[in-house]
Amino acid sequence: MAAPTMEERKACWGARDEFWQCMDNHGDDASKCEKLRLSFESLCPQQWVKYFDKRRDFLKYKKQLETEGYHPPEAAGKS
Amino acid sequence: MLRALLSRLRRPPAPPPRGAVSRRALPLWQRALVAGAGAGAAAGAWLWLRRRKRQERERRRREALRALPQGDFALRDQAGTRRAKSDFAGRWLLLYFGFTHCPDVCPAALERLSRAVAALEWDPALPPLQPLFITLDPERDDEAALRRYLRDFHPRLLGLTGSAEEVRAAAAAFRVYAHAGPRDADGDYIVDHSVLIYLLGPDGLLLDCYGSGKSAEELERSVRRHMRTYQPLSPPQ
Repeated sequence: MAAPTMEERKACWGARDEFWQCMDNHGDDASKCEKLRLSFESLCPQQWVKYFDKRRDFLKYKKQLETEGYHPPEAAGKS
Repeated sequence: MLRALLSRLRRPPAPPPRGAVSRRALPLWQRALVAGAGAGAAAGAWLWLRRRKRQERERRRREALRALPQGDFALRDQAGTRRAKSDFAGRWLLLYFGFTHCPDVCPAALERLSRAVAALEWDPALPPLQPLFITLDPERDDEAALRRYLRDFHPRLLGLTGSAEEVRAAAAAFRVYAHAGPRDADGDYIVDHSVLIYLLGPDGLLLDCYGSGKSAEELERSVRRHMRTYQPLSPPQ
């Protein structure tokens, strides 16, 4: 399976950005963004979809740290 | 003024006036001269010591650079030609390790690298800079894959691949972290890897490395500064 070309990469990133924009607008409600999700999954290799999903989680977490600060998990027990 | 001083030296000093304390008192201008000479000697000594200290610091830095891993490689370029690091002796290199199935990080890094090299090419006073890409995914990135991938970036960007051992050795020589992730149903996988652009000087030693936070302009400025201030290391004693 050949690696995506530059055109394919840009198409994938565009679909990803549209999907993420929709998620941002609807508070991460995936049901509101189904069409864009399907477009995103069709234009990007499966591995990239997984990678970008994880990346979004990371970026959100990072933003949370920057705005709210770090809250250690409340689960009991010392590490 | 000099004549007065010389005549003073030739004549024996006049005896001090009777009753006066026998103490030599130089006129003001001679005292100023002595003070000036003293200050000059002190300044000279300070400058000399500072230069010695700087030379010592440079010497220690060069020894440390020489002790770093030499970052060697013996690979094939996208035309199939064998390329070893020694082939690039005397040339400036800007090097990036990545893989062609990379989702976003590698295209972004190669874009920055290409823009920096293109900007530096405009300056005729600077030595030529060779952009280099080494794959961390030799299983999929053969010569054809490299040709397809690299045509979207700088025209002189050279891509290198090889056997799994050769690539592993090259990555280890630069202390690059690389780890292939799990394969999916299509056999696709992502190679997790450290993201750095390396600058090597004409003597083959690592001069600097740049993370993903450095823009193309910052890359260009830094490489330009290194090229201007570059001092070849003396051969090892």
